[in-house]
Amino acid sequence: MFARIKKSVLTVVAPDIPALPDTSGTTRAHNRSLPDKFTYARPAFLQLLTYDELKASADHNVRPIIVPRDISILPWSTGYAECVNSGKSEWNEDQAAFCRQVLTHPSKQHPDLPYTYFGIFDGHAGYGAALAASHQFHHILHEKLVDVIDMLMPRQDTGPPKPDILPSPLAFQRSVSKDELIIGALESAFIEMDALLAEDRDKYRNAGGCTALVALFILGKMFVSNAGDSRSVLCQRMSNEVLKSHTSNISSNVPNSKDNSDSHESKWEDKKHMHIFPIPFSHDHTPDTERPRLMSTAKLNPSLMGGEYVAMEYAKRPAVKDLGQRILYRQGTMKGWAYKTLTRDDLKMPIVIGEGKRSRLMGTIGVTRGFGDHDLRAIGSGLPIKPFLSPHPEVNYRDLTKVISIPEENNEDGDYGILIMATDGLWDVIDTETVSKTVFTTLSKYPTEKHRYTMVAQELVAKSRGRINESGHWRLADSKAAATVDDISVIVIPVYQYYKEYLEWERKCKEDLEKKKSMPSPASFETSVTTNGTVSGDEEDERAEIAGDGYDADGETATTTTPCDTISSTTNDEEEGKATAEKEVTSTDPSSGT
Amino acid sequence: MSYAYLFKYIIIGDTGVGKSCLLLQFTDKRFQPVHDLTIGVEFGARMITIDGKQIKLQIWDTAGQEAFRSITRSYYRGAAGALLVYDITRRETFNHLTTWLEDARQHSNSNMVIMLIGNKSDLDSRREVKKEEGEAFAREHGLVFMETSARTAANVEEAFINTAKEIYEKIQEGVFDINNEANGIKIGQQHSPTNPSLPGAGNQGGSTSSGCC
Ligand SMILES: Nc1nc2c(ncn2[C@@H]2O[C@H](COP(=O)(O)OP(=O)(O)O)[C@@H](O)[C@H]2O)c(=O)[nH]1
Ligand SMILES: [Mg+2]
Repeated sequence: MFARIKKSVLTVVAPDIPALPDTSGTTRAHNRSLPDKFTYARPAFLQLLTYDELKASADHNVRPIIVPRDISILPWSTGYAECVNSGKSEWNEDQAAFCRQVLTHPSKQHPDLPYTYFGIFDGHAGYGAALAASHQFHHILHEKLVDVIDMLMPRQDTGPPKPDILPSPLAFQRSVSKDELIIGALESAFIEMDALLAEDRDKYRNAGGCTALVALFILGKMFVSNAGDSRSVLCQRMSNEVLKSHTSNISSNVPNSKDNSDSHESKWEDKKHMHIFPIPFSHDHTPDTERPRLMSTAKLNPSLMGGEYVAMEYAKRPAVKDLGQRILYRQGTMKGWAYKTLTRDDLKMPIVIGEGKRSRLMGTIGVTRGFGDHDLRAIGSGLPIKPFLSPHPEVNYRDLTKVISIPEENNEDGDYGILIMATDGLWDVIDTETVSKTVFTTLSKYPTEKHRYTMVAQELVAKSRGRINESGHWRLADSKAAATVDDISVIVIPVYQYYKEYLEWERKCKEDLEKKKSMPSPASFETSVTTNGTVSGDEEDERAEIAGDGYDADGETATTTTPCDTISSTTNDEEEGKATAEKEVTSTDPSSGT
Repeated sequence: MSYAYLFKYIIIGDTGVGKSCLLLQFTDKRFQPVHDLTIGVEFGARMITIDGKQIKLQIWDTAGQEAFRSITRSYYRGAAGALLVYDITRRETFNHLTTWLEDARQHSNSNMVIMLIGNKSDLDSRREVKKEEGEAFAREHGLVFMETSARTAANVEEAFINTAKEIYEKIQEGVFDINNEANGIKIGQQHSPTNPSLPGAGNQGGSTSSGCC
């Protein structure tokens, strides 16, 4: 019985490691006496205000499903639900956060640019890192977006370029799109959050580590940024009509993968000729999926292995009796296999062992990207693991202005999709297809209720938590299979609700411009003065020139652009709009394409 | 504050009967006429004294609608007491008591003390269920019965405290196995200093190796 439980525990850090990595003998032996940076709490929007509520919500025997008491706190009726683990740690080590912000240009000459952020952080070896990320990540992201504010702002009136004020031309110049600037903001914010946790090591109690999954809604687009093994999936449900209007060239540009190709084969129909299909918006970073990166890091920096590990993978586990014989191996970024002669070195522990969710890096950790873990050491060898871990996210995004939706069908939630963001507690026991199906069946059960997305979140958590049987095991309701014993957190975002809000904002921007046009203001000439980049005339791909000298590469002078020009192109973009929904998912992570 | 025992309660009954208002009246001594629909579960807590002993009540307020029924069922686990509430001005809430009771009996510990509550006694002019009917139902099913008003606070204290007394008596009689937390009773730490501190302090820290790993 004990073994059974143990087997079902899918801890990220190998079960034998103490929850707080032992730092004695290192320079940070005093760590335990340091204070917490943030007092443990559940996400503020849940309003679990007292210790008593906190304690009751962490009841490991019942695992209550917690939803926001006031569902109007989250924007767009977004749903959220969570549930504590069955006892592997005293507290729920997942955290969630959201933030609505406005980017205001210091010149006040641009309309304010609103954005909304959601984040989910799955902590391990303590709750500190996830808690810090939920408190601090959005501040960092905001700074990064403010850094590029000039180039993100919709233009009121660029006025004539003033080359003398712009930075001097560099040896080369590249035009950079707004998308790339937003992706860059996300990427650099991830790196900085990780650096912040490193800085805090001497000031606060060991925070452990966490995965990070972030969604950013800005300028009519949805960006999903992931480091770790939480996962986000866009659940879509489309009529035949809409599907027909997409080209048949499916999945050419989709960020991967096994998951995805399966979903196309197995997409099923529900009653009204509606097809449900999930599109993965992130990919797990585990020792198994990141083998090429980890093995080349190890190969290039053998000292990181301290002579204890070997940066090779073998088709068959090497044994002493095979010494001197030929063995199939691969190393670095090799995709195929080759022969080598087995030596003593090959008998060391491979840097990556195991497969899938059960794979381990240096026999210790099961997730290879995220924040924190700066003091994590490998079981056995005691070598630092952090050099192999990375905070760098994979970013996928979608331009919502290009989504096809037939108004008469009233199927906006299906066409634009419901974005599910969840920690591995959900995905360990329920596959993407089942999640998508559950999303739409639950929504149709509650066609008008304002809390329908909360009901979806609650349903997903209930499904993956399952129920406890007489002998104290958590089992899925519809089978005898083990349910998750991990913390579970689920965010359910109705993407169309954001898009509506965006259209409204765009309309207001236009209105404001009309007003400004009708009363000519001399001030408008100064708008571009403070910018260090200009929007080029190329409206279609929204290119902003970095370090431009006032002339773009084609020798065209920068043209005056209308406000929101970059986003109102829905109608004149018919051709592009017909690209498949999948095609519009763009990934930044080259490794995920393989 | 340290306590001798912690009792877990669950409040059940149709939606709109006043479960959330009863909880608020008991924990905060106030009535909030317009209350959000409860989705999922909410928690309340209060310390009471019985027989000179400090007893902490941890109360789980559940959603009454049918849609939440399967999730609510999992919350009976580990409850020592239940308040089964109906609304004296709406007969159908009284008619549904049997279903609620079946649910409770099936999913809870057999020793769970159930208190039947006819709420909204301040609305006597709109009464649809006679007090005698409530009494009869309680007698028939072996429940304790009381009419309350979350608005005027009439009998609210008594309802929660009498339930606790009943549980306390059962403990004295040795009916409850107080060492089994699944019974909804927890013994307080004898030498518990002050507030149960937030996580991190001493042995409460992140590592609970006694769990399953
Ligand atoms: N007059 C009166 N109204 C009450 C009483 N208790 C609750 N209510 C009202 O009944 C409605 C439902 O109460 P609520 O506590 O939300 O019910 P719940 O769904 O069982 O939690 C609210 O409008 C309350 O103001 C009571 O004792 N007297
Ligand atoms: Mg209620």
